[in-house]
Amino acid sequence: MINTTLLTNQISTILAMAPDTTASVLSQTPTEIGTGPKWILLIIGLPMLTSLLCGLYAIIGNKTKLPAWTTVAGAGIAFLATVAMYLSFDGTPYTVHAFDWIQVYFGDKAMIANFSFYIDTLTIYWMLFVTGLATLIALYASEYMSHDVGTSYCRFFGAFGLFVFSMACLVMGDNLLMLYLGWEGVGLCSYLLIGYFYKKPEAVAAAKKAFIVNRIGDLGLALGIYLTFVHFGTLEYAVLFNDPTLLGYIEAAKTGNFEAIPAIAQWIPILFMIGAFGKSAQFPLYVWLPDAMEGPTPVSALIHAATMVTAGVYLIARTYPLFLTSEFALPIVAWVGTITALLAATIAMAQFDIKRIMAYSTVSQLGYMFAGLGVLTPTGGVYHVLTHAFFKALLFLCCGAVMHGFAGQLDLRKLSGLKNVKGWGIVTIGMLIGCINLAGVPFTAGYFSKDTIIAEAFVTPGTSMIGWILLFTAGLTAYYTFRVFFRVFMGPVEYHPGDEHHDDDGHDDGHDGGGVGGFHPHAPGWAVNSVLITLSVLSIAASGLYFVGGNKEAHTKHYAQTMVMSSTASYDSPYSKHAIHAAQESNDPNAGVGPRGTIDKALEVPIIGGDPHKMMYYISAVVGIVGIALAWFLHLFGRTNAAECKMDPIAKRFGPIPKMAENKWYVDEFYAMIFVTPLRIISHIFHWIDKLLVDGIVNLFGYLPRIFAWIIRPSQSGILQGYAVSMAGGLTILLLVVFVIVMQGGVS
Amino acid sequence: MEITLAQMAFPEALPAITMAHYLFVSAAMFVMGLIGFLTRKNMIVMFLCTELMFQGAGLALIAFGRHHLAADGQTFVIFVLCVAAAEAAMALALVVLLFRHKETLSAQAWKELHG
Amino acid sequence: MSPVWTLLLIAVPLIGALMVAFGTEDRAYGSSLRTMLVTLIPGAMMLWQFDFSMGAVHQGAASVNWIPDLGIKLSIGTDAISLLLIILTVLLGPIVIAASKTAIKDDRRKYYAWLLILQAAMVGVFAARDLMLFYICFEFTLLPMFILIRCYGSTNRVAASTKFFLYTFTGSMMTLAGLIYVVYFVAQQTGTWTLDIATLTAIAPRMPIEHQAWVLLAMLAGFAVKVPLFPFHTWLPLAHTEAPTAGSVILAGVLLKLGTYGILRFAIPITPAAFMEYAPVLGVLSVIGIIYAGLICWVQDDIKKLVAYSSVSHLGFCVLGLAALNVSGLSGSVLYMLSHGLSTGGLFLMIGFMYERYHTRDMRQIGGLASKMPVWTFFMVFFTMASVGLPGLNGFPSEVLCLIASFQSDAAWTAAGEPGAWGTTLGPWFGVFAGTGMVIAAMYLLIMVGKICFGPLREPKDHHAHEELPTDLSRREIWTLIPLAVACLVFGLKPVYLLDAISDPINQIVSTATAHSVQPLPENHETHTMMDMIQTQIQTQTEATP
Repeated sequence: MINTTLLTNQISTILAMAPDTTASVLSQTPTEIGTGPKWILLIIGLPMLTSLLCGLYAIIGNKTKLPAWTTVAGAGIAFLATVAMYLSFDGTPYTVHAFDWIQVYFGDKAMIANFSFYIDTLTIYWMLFVTGLATLIALYASEYMSHDVGTSYCRFFGAFGLFVFSMACLVMGDNLLMLYLGWEGVGLCSYLLIGYFYKKPEAVAAAKKAFIVNRIGDLGLALGIYLTFVHFGTLEYAVLFNDPTLLGYIEAAKTGNFEAIPAIAQWIPILFMIGAFGKSAQFPLYVWLPDAMEGPTPVSALIHAATMVTAGVYLIARTYPLFLTSEFALPIVAWVGTITALLAATIAMAQFDIKRIMAYSTVSQLGYMFAGLGVLTPTGGVYHVLTHAFFKALLFLCCGAVMHGFAGQLDLRKLSGLKNVKGWGIVTIGMLIGCINLAGVPFTAGYFSKDTIIAEAFVTPGTSMIGWILLFTAGLTAYYTFRVFFRVFMGPVEYHPGDEHHDDDGHDDGHDGGGVGGFHPHAPGWAVNSVLITLSVLSIAASGLYFVGGNKEAHTKHYAQTMVMSSTASYDSPYSKHAIHAAQESNDPNAGVGPRGTIDKALEVPIIGGDPHKMMYYISAVVGIVGIALAWFLHLFGRTNAAECKMDPIAKRFGPIPKMAENKWYVDEFYAMIFVTPLRIISHIFHWIDKLLVDGIVNLFGYLPRIFAWIIRPSQSGILQGYAVSMAGGLTILLLVVFVIVMQGGVS
Repeated sequence: MEITLAQMAFPEALPAITMAHYLFVSAAMFVMGLIGFLTRKNMIVMFLCTELMFQGAGLALIAFGRHHLAADGQTFVIFVLCVAAAEAAMALALVVLLFRHKETLSAQAWKELHG
Repeated sequence: MSPVWTLLLIAVPLIGALMVAFGTEDRAYGSSLRTMLVTLIPGAMMLWQFDFSMGAVHQGAASVNWIPDLGIKLSIGTDAISLLLIILTVLLGPIVIAASKTAIKDDRRKYYAWLLILQAAMVGVFAARDLMLFYICFEFTLLPMFILIRCYGSTNRVAASTKFFLYTFTGSMMTLAGLIYVVYFVAQQTGTWTLDIATLTAIAPRMPIEHQAWVLLAMLAGFAVKVPLFPFHTWLPLAHTEAPTAGSVILAGVLLKLGTYGILRFAIPITPAAFMEYAPVLGVLSVIGIIYAGLICWVQDDIKKLVAYSSVSHLGFCVLGLAALNVSGLSGSVLYMLSHGLSTGGLFLMIGFMYERYHTRDMRQIGGLASKMPVWTFFMVFFTMASVGLPGLNGFPSEVLCLIASFQSDAAWTAAGEPGAWGTTLGPWFGVFAGTGMVIAAMYLLIMVGKICFGPLREPKDHHAHEELPTDLSRREIWTLIPLAVACLVFGLKPVYLLDAISDPINQIVSTATAHSVQPLPENHETHTMMDMIQTQIQTQTEATP
């Protein structure tokens, strides 16, 4: 039970604190936090420099692969600098100042947002995989994009460099406006890269959709930032997260006492959340991500799978203290993530385009991360980001290799048995490694990170439903993942080339020998293969992170947790076993009390008679294997050609449901009907109102003199005597008036 | 009662011509001119009528000037006469031109300026 | 700072205009471009010699008696705000001339001469420290613009120029009436006639609030039409669509800013109490304008009309910042004046370059130009992004400040003593609704870019290559764009320079306005009648002259 006296005390302390906190906040200067060495700016500056160099190459008409090598070198050095930053990090966060950006002073107060960077373990964690993957994918793209060598090649790598720069600003910025700069910057690069094949109307439409849907989220983020500034008076992390007001709110929130926190503060995370949903493609703003697959595959791998779409997770992790102060924000995050995970998984099951399946699986996995953040385990969410980044990049790059080799063919009904085609061994192995991670096969990285989230959902009070849904979704994930693998890479050898619609200049020269239908697939070269090998190794190695890097003192079990717990995202769930034990040992009456209510110690073990963290290892392993087995039975067992399998007759039994899932549950059409069309009608109405009413009134004023003239015009007869008569008449009247006035004694 | 100039020269011969007489004549001239201007259509006659109105006004001016023993009235009338002369020259020329256009002296023939 | 530079900025274009007018047709372009380039020197000297540490003081002040009986002087001087606007004007000068080289073929002397005169008038508006000089220059900008639209516009130019002239002129007549009342009031208070803006703004706030409200209404009649604020905006799309490229650039870049500059310089300082009381009305109108004009943009087919409506939408942010009546709002608003000139000016240039080649502005007829004009597309996307408010480019800092300002200026938060809240005019809802303008702007601008830059190539049927111009941008055209693009980047990355520069004048405007509007107005004990004043004036005159 909650100790009411203590609670009231806390409220009164908080309330007493509130009025005079502002002064103390403002007296805190950001210089309290140490400054770091300037070479860290290399991480930001180099990608920008490579981007500018690519622009220069475009101007001078470079026709070699120089842009790719420049970008690989730039991103590579940035990665090395990140590693150096990691190795030299001593545990205390610091900032690095590049230059002043926006500063407005009013009286003794100020709004400051500098071009500065905030380095803590969360930043380092994120930057390590951002720059690392950027290097690898740039290397991959050097080969993948090679038939576009020339201006387009420069354009691609220019935008690529700009993306890495923006992502670095997003992750490393030391204030919310810098985060917003990166946020919009990655949005721009995403726009430019999705629309890379700008002659294709679908690519242009997808790019536009991505930017606009993201902007809706950005609005939420922007408003949240403004509210943060207005409420806490600062935008800088270093000041914000040490703000006594905020700390007071968190203290109140820890015992679920949300009445003590003003509504304004509770709105901030809800607005941030909308931004995160847009950028990380969560329901209801996820519709742009599948369409974004119109971009070149390296872009899909880097931006739309591994890095940019995790920006929403980063945002929530970074501002986790703010999220804790809201009663509804985290539950909404959890539920939205769960619903997205389930919804996207069902859609992925019914798709035939392998790249789109991967896109929906990204949406689904992002849903897991959000659910993790929502059920009070930022560690789980952030850990899943890392593992997912590796295996999803790997999966996308494998799909890209397939697409590249088979002239744009992505339909899993037209590809089969690639395992046995010469030169595709590495791709097959890479794909398998990616698939087992995604499916959550035991002892893979994906297995561990997903389990952390699901188990925590069972621990936190009131969210066990989320746990069950996520567990079910895990089964679906295993099914659709291996559906792709079994159909495309296993089974009888059969392939039909695509219509090469992703390549403008085509490369059908040299494809004249052998193969099915006279088509000869074009096996990946050394750059692609080496990247695939590296990523495969990293994906496997990521599972090792679950066993290393724990810190006994900080009660952290593994690497990701250590990194998260020493950053602003640090949050120790009060429902965890060790937290309850610790509270009980110190006779804290609040043992088992947390923002989501009180956990009954008897129910500490809610499922199947074991600690959820332990039980989850077994349960989710079973779920994953069942999913894979189903996929094997339905899609591989007894399949004789690429197009048909055991699933087809079963799918028919479900009636319209598979068709609806294939058409993405008609969400796009729904949005078009509910939002776009009415808004467009309103716009047309406004257009006509503007033309007829607003401008009409103006024109009416213009016509008024004319109308008046039209009324009095007949008096102008044109006859001379007429004028003379009116003149004489006027004179007479005037004289009469004067006469009357004089008769009455004149003017006084 | 003030003694007028005429009374000074011929004290008994004539009855006293007072200010009122002059004004009466002047008003009569003006009204005749006005009526003529308003009723006649012939442009030359209308012009003559305006002249008549001018002179009526001029007579009143002279009478008042004499009455107040100030030269302003007369001076002004000299101006009016000059202007009237110039005007006559212009107006008659215009009338001739207008006549040439329409072959009529009627003022009603010219009403293009109606609204 | 020496006043010579300001005077040169006015004099050089006028002399240049004379030279162009009496020169030959062929040399008109060259000599006007040289004149504009020469004005860059005094412009640079102003910037160089301006002492930003001197706060809100007007520097480079000079004054000559003009009509001493009424206290009218020719007095000039610049503070940081007007300096920056002058620099913007001077920067746009050579750009618009260079952009007209191939577009204007007939009657060049008149065209360039009027452009030069317009330049002098615009500098005059910003430099004026005397109400009469301000008003004369303010009105005089209409005439050259009218002639540029009337004689060099496209098909519907007569209607457009007439509406432009009559609408803005009617509005500014009312402004004149209001300002005359202010002068009269101040004369009553002080006993002498003066049109010195500093004196007027110091004394006029003593007006009772009902009078202030009327004066504010009169001033807004002119300034709101000029901005243009919804619902007084209908002249703008028409004028922009019909005007030649240079006219559109100047119109968007500088002339619209006269409205917001007027509000900043006159409406707020002269009638602070009334402004604070009616700021929510202004705020509502600007929010409506942001959303309404933005949505209209969405359904336009004429690309120039689209950008014109986007100006209406964008300037809504500018007025919203002013209506917030706090430091961040006013700073954001001034920044918006500068940045909108750059990005929208750039967009109009881009459209002009396209129009010269294709003779159409209809997005249904034209599209996919990226494959034919990559350089053009690059700049188009660049200026579009600047206009969308992408961080790192110029639109962003101003937009953020305007929106934050509307959040801050809420009475409830002021009462609670939250940081940064000074004014008491708007509230978070203004910010929320105005914020949707961000989304709408992204929507219509990206759809525009998507249609004309990307997708399969579409050209009008009767299209043939331009005789003088290359398919993509010529070197001259690129050089007209580069200064704007660089300025966009610099503004976006270092807005702190501008914010520091305008900080003191803005703080001064806000603090005096807030002080006046909060304190009850002192009832003046002694007022002078009209006759008294004229007599004292005559007496002092006669005493002065031996």
